[in-house]
Amino acid sequence: MKKIIKCIFLLLVTAIFLFPVVYMIACSFMSSSQISKMLDFANGEYKDLNMIPEMFTLEQFYQVLFRRPEYLLKFWNSVIITLPTVIGQVVVSSFAAFAFAKLKFPFRDKLFFIYIVLLILPLQVTLVPNYIILDNMNLLNNFLAIILPGTFSTFGICLLRQSIKYIPDSSIEAARIDGASYFRIFTRIIIPQIKGGLITLTLLCFIDNWNVVEQPLIYFEENSMYPLSITMADISNSDYGIIFACGVMFMIPALVIYFYGHKDINLSIYDIEK
Amino acid sequence: MTRKRKDYLTAFLFVLPSLIGIAIFYVVPYIICIIKSLYIGQEFVGLINYIQLFSNNTFILALKNTVIFTVVAIPLLMIISFLIALFLNSFKKILSFFRSAFLIPVVVPVASLICVWQVVFDDYGAINGLLNTLGIDTVEFFSSEFSMGMIIFIYVWKYCGFCVILFTAGLANVPKSLYEGAKLDGANSFQLVTKVTIPMITPTTFFVFLIEIIYSFKIFREVFALFGNYPNEHIYFLQNFINNNYYNLNYPRLSSASIILSVFIIIILLVFFIFERKHSFSE
Repeated sequence: MKKIIKCIFLLLVTAIFLFPVVYMIACSFMSSSQISKMLDFANGEYKDLNMIPEMFTLEQFYQVLFRRPEYLLKFWNSVIITLPTVIGQVVVSSFAAFAFAKLKFPFRDKLFFIYIVLLILPLQVTLVPNYIILDNMNLLNNFLAIILPGTFSTFGICLLRQSIKYIPDSSIEAARIDGASYFRIFTRIIIPQIKGGLITLTLLCFIDNWNVVEQPLIYFEENSMYPLSITMADISNSDYGIIFACGVMFMIPALVIYFYGHKDINLSIYDIEK
Repeated sequence: MTRKRKDYLTAFLFVLPSLIGIAIFYVVPYIICIIKSLYIGQEFVGLINYIQLFSNNTFILALKNTVIFTVVAIPLLMIISFLIALFLNSFKKILSFFRSAFLIPVVVPVASLICVWQVVFDDYGAINGLLNTLGIDTVEFFSSEFSMGMIIFIYVWKYCGFCVILFTAGLANVPKSLYEGAKLDGANSFQLVTKVTIPMITPTTFFVFLIEIIYSFKIFREVFALFGNYPNEHIYFLQNFINNNYYNLNYPRLSSASIILSVFIIIILLVFFIFERKHSFSE
């Protein structure tokens, strides 16, 4: 009996987490008239969370993919911003994380403390200083204004350092005795063993930059350079019909990465040990 | 060159790319920012920018809201996710389906869900429909003090699953023998949690806390998605203040606001550090 109650509670909690997402996907198959009725908040009717489309249709997806190129362009802006940032951050971070976790050099721990402080400072704080420097470098109104600072975020270093710490020192020492260079150790021993960490970083970094809102608002003057994450916030009334299809299209890349890597994502190693 | 020196040099080469980037995009700009906050135009004015900021009503409002959000949302998320993690831990095995379901809210982009939240929270939305049938007055989630409640709900919903997974990982590392020993000494299940579990997972709690702080500042994205640049006064955060001041490019004011925000964070962190140290030493 107790077990059944527990299972019901578990399903209930899970349902709360999944509901908004499932609801959105269901809505993306509704016809535009049903959507406009649902999102018309001025008609004085209470909305019910109807998951079943009155008429199953792919109209929304057809509109987004073939009729409304402006949304696809915004989608590509998101890709242009996110892809280089993720690749850059993963590469830069894995090199630095290796040094911070396994190599000795002067000021290592003091330097790492600065990295942690930088990690915790919110974006809004670094936005101002960044704006000043980007202005001097003439990079405003350029996608690099988001890509470059994103690449050097300290988040990845803190994350990967933790995974690398779990690799026993003895395997590195053994390779040293055999005459392997640190670079060789890095590519042959470290990288293959931190696959889980790399995937976790790729996913978290991707989500973070995919959702970027603050920087484009400030760095870009042209609305045409805005990524989809900003545009979706002010889709006008006339476009309500496609809003859910846009949402689904926008979440697919994140979900693909998640389902590709979720078996390797092991969060148990991120205890900060003393 | 000695071998030790050579090793230092290689280590340094590994860190170099990141070091250059950090210096250019974070450290140097940050120093510039501190300097700018002490000037108006070309004139050195000391702390006047800061004093002016504190007599600015919008800034005070933004600061107040940010403090309220941080003080309420972070402990709330911590407690809820810890309880759910304890609950999950009482199962022998959890299907990976549930793990995925818990992580989905973090994975799904903010912008995708705006309309869903609108249908749920609007004056004529699902929740108000339900309240109406129960005979309760409409709650205006988008234009009253309940906005803060809504934003806190969205924040907890989004990050709860992620924190639960982190907590369950921590719980799995607590040795079973500790519980058995405590049980033999006659501890009840409440004492088991407070005297064994909580002290044992302090490092995890600390990591969850860091994550929560980092993400609490990203709640601006939800606020922006739902309200645009000018949300109502109950959820006008420091981030909104800084963003809106970009449009009139008031560098001194922006810089000093950023510095105050960083000091605010560093204080929270220090408090937590001290609290954590005390807690783990008393055990």
